[in-house]
Amino acid sequence: MKITKAVITAAGPDQTHLPLQTLVTPTGDTKPMLSLLLEETFAAGITSVAIVIAPGTENDYQKAAGEFLEKVTFIEQPAPEGFAQAVWCAREFTGSDRFLLLLGDHIYLNPKGPSCISQLLNAATDTDGPISAVQPTHESQLPYYGTIGGKRIPGSDQLIEVTSAMEKPTPTLAEQELIIPGLRSGRYLCYFGMHVLTPSVMTQIEKDLSTGEKLPLTPALNAVAASERYLACQIEGRRFNLGSSYGLLHANLGMALAGSDRDEVMTSIIELISSTK
Amino acid sequence: MLLDLITSEDAAVRDQSLVEACVSLSAADLLQECGGLDQFRRDSDNLYDRVRALFFLYSIYRFQLPEKLTTEQTGSIPFSGHEDLLARRFEEAIDTFLENQKTEGPSDAICSALAAAYHQLAFQTLANQVRKSVRTVRGNQWMFRMGHPQDQPLRVRPQLLETSHHLFPILRERTPVRMDLTHSAWSDIFFLGMDFPEGARVINVSVDLAVHGRDDTPTPPVEAYLRIIDKPVIRLTSIDLKATAEIDSLSEMFDFAKDYLGLLKAAVIASGIVPPGIEGSGQSLADLLEQIAGPGKGFEIVSSVNNIPKGSRLAVSTNLLAALISACMRATGQTQSLTGELTENERRLVLARAVLGEWIGGSGGGWQDSGGVWPGIKLIEGEIAGETDPEHGISRGRLMPKHHVFGDDKISQSARQALEDSLIVVHGGMAQNVGPILEMVTEKYLLRASQEWQGRKEALNLLDKILEALKAGDIKTLGALTTENFRGPLQTIIPWATNHFTETLIKRVEAEFGSDFWGFWMLGGMSGGGMGFIVAPERKAEALGKLKEIMLTTKRELENALPFAMDPVVYDFSLNPHGTYADLLEEKEALLPPIYYQLAIPRLLRATPESLSQADRGELDQFARASKMEAGFGNAVEDLFQTLIPQNQTSDDSGSSLDDLLEEHGFDAEQHRQISKDLQNGRIGLAQNRLAANTTIEDVDAADVTNFTHLEPESALVTLGKESLAKGEVAVITLAAGAGSRWTQGAGVCKALHPFNIFEDKHRTFIETHLAKSRKRGAEAGTTVPHVFTTSYLTHGPTTHFLDHQQNYSYPGPLHLSPGKSVGLRMIPTERDLRFAWEEMPQQTLDEQQEKMRDSVRTALIGWAREAGQAGDYTDNLPLQCLHPVGHFFELPNLLLNGTLAKLLEERPQLKTLMLHNIDTLGADLHPGLLGHHLQSGSGLSFEVITRRLEDRGGGLARVNGRPRLLEGLAMPREEDEFKLSYYNSMTTWIDLDQLLDLFGLSREAILTNDQELIAAAIRKVAAKLPTYVTLKEVKKRWGHGQEDIFPVTQFEKLWSDLSMLPEIRSEFLVVPRLRGQQLKDPAQLDSWLRDGSAEYVDSLCQWS
Repeated sequence: MKITKAVITAAGPDQTHLPLQTLVTPTGDTKPMLSLLLEETFAAGITSVAIVIAPGTENDYQKAAGEFLEKVTFIEQPAPEGFAQAVWCAREFTGSDRFLLLLGDHIYLNPKGPSCISQLLNAATDTDGPISAVQPTHESQLPYYGTIGGKRIPGSDQLIEVTSAMEKPTPTLAEQELIIPGLRSGRYLCYFGMHVLTPSVMTQIEKDLSTGEKLPLTPALNAVAASERYLACQIEGRRFNLGSSYGLLHANLGMALAGSDRDEVMTSIIELISSTK
Repeated sequence: MLLDLITSEDAAVRDQSLVEACVSLSAADLLQECGGLDQFRRDSDNLYDRVRALFFLYSIYRFQLPEKLTTEQTGSIPFSGHEDLLARRFEEAIDTFLENQKTEGPSDAICSALAAAYHQLAFQTLANQVRKSVRTVRGNQWMFRMGHPQDQPLRVRPQLLETSHHLFPILRERTPVRMDLTHSAWSDIFFLGMDFPEGARVINVSVDLAVHGRDDTPTPPVEAYLRIIDKPVIRLTSIDLKATAEIDSLSEMFDFAKDYLGLLKAAVIASGIVPPGIEGSGQSLADLLEQIAGPGKGFEIVSSVNNIPKGSRLAVSTNLLAALISACMRATGQTQSLTGELTENERRLVLARAVLGEWIGGSGGGWQDSGGVWPGIKLIEGEIAGETDPEHGISRGRLMPKHHVFGDDKISQSARQALEDSLIVVHGGMAQNVGPILEMVTEKYLLRASQEWQGRKEALNLLDKILEALKAGDIKTLGALTTENFRGPLQTIIPWATNHFTETLIKRVEAEFGSDFWGFWMLGGMSGGGMGFIVAPERKAEALGKLKEIMLTTKRELENALPFAMDPVVYDFSLNPHGTYADLLEEKEALLPPIYYQLAIPRLLRATPESLSQADRGELDQFARASKMEAGFGNAVEDLFQTLIPQNQTSDDSGSSLDDLLEEHGFDAEQHRQISKDLQNGRIGLAQNRLAANTTIEDVDAADVTNFTHLEPESALVTLGKESLAKGEVAVITLAAGAGSRWTQGAGVCKALHPFNIFEDKHRTFIETHLAKSRKRGAEAGTTVPHVFTTSYLTHGPTTHFLDHQQNYSYPGPLHLSPGKSVGLRMIPTERDLRFAWEEMPQQTLDEQQEKMRDSVRTALIGWAREAGQAGDYTDNLPLQCLHPVGHFFELPNLLLNGTLAKLLEERPQLKTLMLHNIDTLGADLHPGLLGHHLQSGSGLSFEVITRRLEDRGGGLARVNGRPRLLEGLAMPREEDEFKLSYYNSMTTWIDLDQLLDLFGLSREAILTNDQELIAAAIRKVAAKLPTYVTLKEVKKRWGHGQEDIFPVTQFEKLWSDLSMLPEIRSEFLVVPRLRGQQLKDPAQLDSWLRDGSAEYVDSLCQWS
């Protein structure tokens, strides 16, 4: 079944201005980050998007949405109560539909093939259940990501049936529970910041929130893995987390090196390196 | 045929005993079987098939083949093979030895070399597999991959970073120790659990302890503390060892022997904070810590075992390692919960990490040793390796066992209480190396030696019965069963599990408590340390006191005969229902144990006020507050003062000062100063012991020796000898002046008094055994034989006391002690000699981790020698440990000087021959055939030699520049020269008394008139003709609660066998049977000594009463 709705979470306390940051695209245009993200989302076939924002930030986001403003709904998360709660704020928007979940501080790049969002949405057409984008990640990065364990689906290079999901596992636990055949040693499949979720996930989040804790999304996904078929799709491409140190720089460099100005940018970098040391 | 014993599918064939299968095979058959086995072990992919084949080969070459070799071929051992052995290149060594066997034919010598090589290869193969398995346990692997601080995935839990008054909270982990209720018959050795998982079963109990009379109530004895500190270092403190260090580099973290904190370091590494993969990366510890805990942050880790002494057999150190690892894992988010109990999965992880930690630290324990991590009473069993296990296809069993904790429904509270009400746990005070026993057990189980295999099955049956008794709360039956286990299977498997001390204790407790003594229970590898006594509950209170008294009295009687590290201790104990458990100490409760502050506060007080950080000030405030308010800190300030202002050292137990002892035992200060000076200047030293490099060293010809390898029961020589014996012309001199440092590893007890073996149902000492031989020869000749034991400052007092106590073992003949009349003062070694011994001499290569440990220890010891003053006097030990005997040459001249020979001549004016032998040459006796030959040949000195085996090192019979003589190993110009020699010196010497006196320029009259000056001058004159050897010896320094350090010290000596170089007296050399001439130097030899017929041979020479 085709997925038409997307939710972008952008309500984190550190996220207020990130979607407004501008980036130079591979074609040399300068656009706000949110606009870029929306462009990829709609290009992949999504028809309506809800952005979960912190109170009082809607004006800025409206500006950043630019040409896509008409197709965007803004939902306020009243207080920063964690990622899972931010997703849950969009429950009325998602209703009984499956929906794409994206992070407002991430952009994705796959210069050599279909966009990352398209890859996930394509994979989602083969299943009715939830499906998350994942990517092999070195164990040193485990403190930053949710990580899945499971088994590969025969006949597919990309799809994994998820049996468990853990938020920021220790390498010890990852080695015991989360090894996926076919990966290089010391690598695990970590979330890529992109999921297709079902109403059942919303129900699970609601259950989890009753404990009153600030929660990430991973515990709900782990619970869903135990009760229904939950897949993960290994995505080709790169993500850039603009919230991390030098995230904006990395994203700009990534875009520039994938585009027509590659040589010019590389020359500038080399000149910069030689003149600073 | 023998291969079937390894490869057969039928367990009945597979579990057959090798020894029995070899009985009917000839030497040629055995050699053929060996060829097949060797090929098989090279081809087989299966680890345990290979290992069993290696043990089979060892056994055949060590026991079965030598006794079937018909010719007494001398044979030789290629030096290159010996070098390969030392370097642990066992495959190459085996190839070299087999090639030699092919060209020269089988011989006793080459058999011994092959046996040693196969034995070591078998253990190396097993150890490698355990190591590999430890690394491949899931949850351990990532730590070996991590090589850069930025790859460190662990992060400290945020709760530990929240300060209050500048103090971080303290995570406290408290862990019980474990007792093995059934004694596992050593089945928990990793190799054995992996070989035969069905047989690896133990009932393991977690207990809290208190030292009876010292502590109030039992608490978990093992404690680990962890907190964050504002300094990018890892600060480690061991409360019990009173040692603390700030580690600021990775290389220091991996240096295990630099200080006493090796166990704490191993825990930090095994927990993943400093993962093993980062060793040698050249990275910074501060960067690594920043990644885990944030910029400028570090860890402080403190351990305490509440003064439980070493050797308690309660696996204190393994459980401490587990507690430390658990605390580190909790702190870095590797457990679900920061505090409370662990989950089952987490306990298993801690176990896996503890196994890893023991490997990293170069120590080793059984797989049940981390039992304290689990609560209460549990059954631990080996598990068969499944398809997904890394061990699958390699060994039958998994490395890690499974734990089944018994709930109250299986073992009721009343049964648990009944156990607590009847069992008394003690530490007998003996300190022994249990390593050789574990090797013996492994070998016997893998060879399926029939009696031992049967014993193992019986022990398994007893486990079920013990479990039933425990479930029923029937402690009386339980006591009977643990005793049956000790008396039956355990001693069948390892006779050395018991000793004279333990047997005496059991007898005395039996006598005291009669039927109220319900049973004895051995803890751990061997008895003498941790033990259990089970008594009727109504008498437990009385027994607690009485046991202490009995143990102390028995220890006092035997402390010169057996190695004790401390006075015996009685424990109070209770079962622990939690296993390892953690809590978080915050704010006012964030306190470390009071003794910690004695180590930490002086450092802060010495610092200038402006250099103190806020955390330091917070620490001082916290201590000041606690010392006023906290109950446990009552004496803290007073204790701190004592630390700051050290008290004068009081004199030691013996009451004698070193100066008194030197004066008393004939110390020659002038000679000592000269030797010290010569050592400093490099005029003498280890390198200078050697003969000049151009000396020709060759093996002797057949004509240089007389062969007595087959001693005839009757012959003309025997008749001649018997006549001399009957006339009372012969006396025996047993050299017993040395402490036998190899025997007790420098513990300073008398080897001669050690009750080393059971003959005719009793533990017998070396002295008693030698007297029993003289008693028998005397009785056969219709007379009595005078017997002299030489003694020294080390052994004279204890030997006199011991013989008085034993009433001279009712020896019918004259029995004398000949006290030493000369002594040396040990010296701190020179760096030159240490380096020569460790770098120039061939060294045994150890496995990787042990090698690192040894290198690190040696570096520390060289540092110690430099700091303490090279070639200076060694005085930092008990006075007696600072003296040294000056070599066995002097032991016979002492007889002349101290009047013992005069006494012998007064009693037996007809005395003509002396037989001198070493205390450890148990097969030496007054054989009339050898005596007859000595008399007939007219030689002054007839030295007995034996064919050489690999282990016979330290010299031999050689042609030195064309002249046959005994040559000490120390004097060999080149290491390989010794390997040319076919014969080894047994030290046993027949002496023509008059020719000896001639050599000294003395007469019988001079001896009888005891002209001291004349005799002393004569001895000095002969001594001057003999070389002086500089040697390194290891001495133990004991401290704390059963802790020991070993230091190398320099001493010098003159040796008896060098008399054979003097042309003034005629020497000849007799080749005697190995059983007669071999020496028992190391307790690790005991088991094969019992198995190869040596014990039986000695018994046949003795008349015990």
